[in-house]
Amino acid sequence: MTMDRHADIAGRLDAYVLGQLSAQQAGEVEAHLHVCDVCTSEVRELNAALEAVADSVPPLLPSTSLRERVLAAVAQIPQDAPPVARATDNRAPRRSWMPLVALAAAAVVLLVVGIVAFRVDQSRRELLERVARYATQTDLALSILTAGDMREIPLAGREGAASTAARAYVSPTRGLLVVADRLPAPPPGRAYQVWVIEGTTPVSAGMLGEEPGGRGMLIVTPPKAGMGSNVTVAVTDEPPGGRPAPSGTIRLAGSI
Amino acid sequence: MTRNSHLQAAPNGVSAADTDVLRRLAAGDRDAVAELYDRHAARVLGLAYRIVRNSGDAEDVVQEVFSQAWRTAGNYEPSRGSVAGWLLMMARTRAIDRLRARQSRPQVDAAPDLDRLPADTASMSDRLIANQQASHVRTAMLALPAEQKVALELAYFEGLTQSEIAERLDIPLGTAKTRIRAALASLRRSVRP
Repeated sequence: MTMDRHADIAGRLDAYVLGQLSAQQAGEVEAHLHVCDVCTSEVRELNAALEAVADSVPPLLPSTSLRERVLAAVAQIPQDAPPVARATDNRAPRRSWMPLVALAAAAVVLLVVGIVAFRVDQSRRELLERVARYATQTDLALSILTAGDMREIPLAGREGAASTAARAYVSPTRGLLVVADRLPAPPPGRAYQVWVIEGTTPVSAGMLGEEPGGRGMLIVTPPKAGMGSNVTVAVTDEPPGGRPAPSGTIRLAGSI
Repeated sequence: MTRNSHLQAAPNGVSAADTDVLRRLAAGDRDAVAELYDRHAARVLGLAYRIVRNSGDAEDVVQEVFSQAWRTAGNYEPSRGSVAGWLLMMARTRAIDRLRARQSRPQVDAAPDLDRLPADTASMSDRLIANQQASHVRTAMLALPAEQKVALELAYFEGLTQSEIAERLDIPLGTAKTRIRAALASLRRSVRP
């Protein structure tokens, strides 16, 4: 990490803690924080300052009914496993466990690709090294990431998802991988659908699987259309199960 | 109107009790959720309401924050800030998301929904306790030059970008950045041990 790079990141920390950076810029800061104690300390102080801003607002006592509602809701929610521990504990799948393995693979991909991609390193090489450790569960994701024709598309957060960090990895021969972090829950009765647009016609790539922690993921083999030289990947909210053509609000979008 | 006598305001900065609660939370102890809630729900609700200005949405944010805290307790990074700060950051993000989603829809009623909020005198002493702990911080906020305070509040409570703040205040982008930076620098000095 050069001093220029450090100075560049340090100059963006104000905007980072305020959530004012693009997904790509925020990812760069996150990656830097993992290797720079000085900037991590800066972020800690800035977060303390923001906590002070929050404390300028008088607390409001919640009703007992809200407490009961929150605790009842939490009782129904499974907990995310610690990222590293869960990934490390995964073993090679057995066929009779395929549904669970599929879930584990999804979790692993999310953990490795989603978290690592946005928190540890933005470099494709290092991301590949991490994913390769769990290759058994992430064959398809890995095949996309390792494809010679893979291209990376940062997806910018749009309406209602401005703080979301998301990327699409597009390989015309292997498929499409979309990962999102800090993704807000879709509006009630809606789900996120991924679209690949080449030319003017959006083609559905499938529904973005929602995972705990505001993360979402989709891995598909190459859609029939799209994946050419000029590709746009977008995520909209649609009715559950999706629509043949987009009708909802665009939440994420990016192009190459 | 009900009152949660066990509610207490958490202090700023590192809290051993908070750290312990988070450790238990990450270990899957659901009872720790109630403890975390009792320590921080009032601050989370206050912040959420300040942003969304609607008690129904604010209560939804509270539910989302503690659900997210339960799910992602293992992701909390003490090196980046306090547990309270982590919860408040989640509350701010989710509240601003709701605010933006609402602003994108036809406006039905933008008036504050105060009558649904707990406001009877029984809660006053608890509020005062909580307020006292934040008083030095509030003093620091009040001490900020007005133009810095406005810029920071637009960034923090409305989630505006630096460009949007510059446009809203009709000032150059560089000026908006400078005001926010100066405000945060002042507050950092005030919260240092």
